[in-house]
Amino acid sequence: MQERRRSLERRAVATTFLVILQALATIFFIADVAGDIAEDGWSMHLLVETGATVALLAGVAFGALQLRWLILRARFDETAVAAARGAMSDLVRQRFLDWQLTGAEADVALFALKGFDAAEIAHLRGAASGTTRAQLARIYAKAGVHSQVGLIALIVEDLVDSDAIKPVESKTQGNNG
Amino acid sequence: MPVSPRFDFEEFADKPVRSRRSWDPVVKITHWSIVTAIIANALFTEEGSGAHIWVGYALAAILVLRLLWGLIGPPEARFSAFPPSPRRALGHLRDIRVGKKEVHRSHNPLGALMVYAIWSMLGVIIASGIAMAGPPSTAFLDRAERSGDVSRQLVVEQGGHDDDDEAEGASGEDSVWEEVHETAVNLLYVLIALHIAGVAFETRRSGREILLAMLPGRA
Repeated sequence: MQERRRSLERRAVATTFLVILQALATIFFIADVAGDIAEDGWSMHLLVETGATVALLAGVAFGALQLRWLILRARFDETAVAAARGAMSDLVRQRFLDWQLTGAEADVALFALKGFDAAEIAHLRGAASGTTRAQLARIYAKAGVHSQVGLIALIVEDLVDSDAIKPVESKTQGNNG
Repeated sequence: MPVSPRFDFEEFADKPVRSRRSWDPVVKITHWSIVTAIIANALFTEEGSGAHIWVGYALAAILVLRLLWGLIGPPEARFSAFPPSPRRALGHLRDIRVGKKEVHRSHNPLGALMVYAIWSMLGVIIASGIAMAGPPSTAFLDRAERSGDVSRQLVVEQGGHDDDDEAEGASGEDSVWEEVHETAVNLLYVLIALHIAGVAFETRRSGREILLAMLPGRA
């Protein structure tokens, strides 16, 4: 998520430079056209040049709008992930309390939720792999599941609103039926 | 085995969202472009030269872009986030006196007044500059090329607006604009000095955030 945000930010900076260059080009053309009109009056050539200048101006405005969208999206991304992260930690904390895990078990369970296997967890915590295996077994028993996938599924189940994901058609059919 | 009563949730610890203050790239880049343009025209370009005039026009384009951004930009860059309000500025002064530190999402009320003052001064400088120099297109190209091509001759035949006028002893109107231009520039220097002093003061008062927010690298 850091990577994605950074890439959005880089794009925003690059677009800013582009919009500024466009704005500079626009002022050049505006001044040029104004000078020509002041000198020679209107002509077909100047009409076309004025059209190009207006198009450039529209480009600047559009670029600025695009830029706003980019910046707001990068920020939304950041806040949405942060909000989800907060909600997720609340949920996990709640479940661990429900299951009455000990401190060490909660620690192991957290690694398990993140996808590490018993050997990796043992290594990460500097514990014997036999101990970790035993802890995992107790965690599964307390949570009422048989595997790591089951443990993860328990958490995910609370998070995913399957009604919201169903295709629109099946939903309407369901309403009809 | 020992049972520790508390879970370790540091991994999940909530991080405050956007506590760091930082301006978006448009605000940053227009700010530093305007700084560059002012320095260029104050120190390096010859007064009234084609380069000086074009730097002025470029500054105008960037200022217009920043003003446009004040209408459509993200919330803290918009005019609505820092209305010019002497009442709120006085309130801010009171805060400073009693040592109260309030976090401002945008410019603080005193800073907002400074922003509008600098923008208006730039507007006066640009307007008076254009009034003196007129549309600069041919003048610039002539000076850049010095080739005496057709357009150059055209300008000369017409008794070009810039140099020739000055040589003949500037007309009354032009000298008025010149007066306005120079006075406004001097006022701008005063404003810039105040602006830098304000930033330095606020940095000492509330930390480096205000300074870092305008520097690159923290979008």
